[in-house]
Amino acid sequence: MIKNILRIAGTMVLPALLIWGCSGSGTVHEYAVNDLNVTLEGPLFEGPNQGQYSLEIDLKSILGDAYQEGMLISDARLTSATVTPGDSLDFAMVRSLVLSFASDDAEVAMQEVAFKNPLPAESSSVALEVAPDAELGSLVSGGTVYLVLDADLAEDFYDGNRSFKINLTMDLTVKS
Amino acid sequence: MLRKLSLWAASALIAFTSLNFELQESTGDQLIGVWEPSNGRSRIKIDKIGTKYYGRVVWLIEPIDPETNLPKVDKNNPDAALKNVPLKGYRMLKDFVYQTDGTWSEGTIYDPLNGSTYNCIIKMKDKNTLDIRGYIGIQALGRTDVWKRLATAPAKK
Repeated sequence: MIKNILRIAGTMVLPALLIWGCSGSGTVHEYAVNDLNVTLEGPLFEGPNQGQYSLEIDLKSILGDAYQEGMLISDARLTSATVTPGDSLDFAMVRSLVLSFASDDAEVAMQEVAFKNPLPAESSSVALEVAPDAELGSLVSGGTVYLVLDADLAEDFYDGNRSFKINLTMDLTVKS
Repeated sequence: MLRKLSLWAASALIAFTSLNFELQESTGDQLIGVWEPSNGRSRIKIDKIGTKYYGRVVWLIEPIDPETNLPKVDKNNPDAALKNVPLKGYRMLKDFVYQTDGTWSEGTIYDPLNGSTYNCIIKMKDKNTLDIRGYIGIQALGRTDVWKRLATAPAKK
C-alpha cells in the first residue's frame, strides 16, 4: 500500500521537479514606460473607437549593463496602467477605456490587460483596473507589441483626432 | 544582350513579387468594414492592427442589461478581473491572418453569451457576405454564420 502511494507520488513529483529545475525561476525586472501617445483618428463617432501605439521592447536597453547575450523574457505581467486625456478631451466625454496587447506573431493571441468602466468624470487621469492573471510573456518577447486602447466616447467629434497618454509598468521575468 | 535580358528578367521578377505582395495585402484588407451577423442583434467593425485583423462590437440592439439597467458588460468572461469590461466595444474576433487561399484563419471568435472562445475561419463569399465558421478542434465540428456588410455607418442606439 505504502509502496504504491510512494510510486504514485514519485510519478507526479519527479516530472514537476525536473521541469522546475530545468526552467529556473528567472529574475524579475520592473519596466516602466511613460507618455505613450495613442491617437484616435477622426472623425470620431459616439461609441467605441480604437487607437494604438507600437511599443518596441528591447531587453538590452531595458537591462543595460545587466544584459547578457541570450537573455529572454519568459513572463511579463502588467502591474499598472494610467491614462491621461489630451488637451481637447476630458473624461466626461468618455464612458470607458479598455487596454489590450497584440502582436504580429500568428501564434500569439491578443489579450485584454486593463480597463476602467465607468470612468470618473472629474479626474484628470485614471488608473485602469489591471488583469493580474494576464500572462504577457509571449506578447512582449517578440520585440514589438501593439498597445490598443478602446475608448467608448459619449459624443461625436467631427473636428479631428483625440489623443491619450499612457503610462505603463510591467514586471518582466528574464531568464538567461 | 544576354546580360540585358537577365537584368530585364530580374527586374520583372522583383516587380511581379512586390505587386503580388501588395495585391495580397490589399485583398486581405477587403475584410475591413462594419458587418452584421445573421441575427441582426449586433454589428461588428473589423480593423487591422499590425498585420492581423480584429473585430469589435460597435452596436448592440439591446445595449442595456435589464437586470442592472446599466450598459451590458462581459459578465461571462472566464477571467474574473475582466467581467466588468463593457460589451459594446468588445473585441470578439481576434488575430485573423489572411491566407493565400482567400480565407482569414488562425483567429478566434468569442461568444459573450457563454464566455467561450472558439477557433474560427472567415471566408468571403462575395464582397458583402462573409461565412464565419466557429469550431472546436476540427472545422467539421462547428457552426457557420453568414454576416452581411453594412454599407453605411451603424445607426446610433
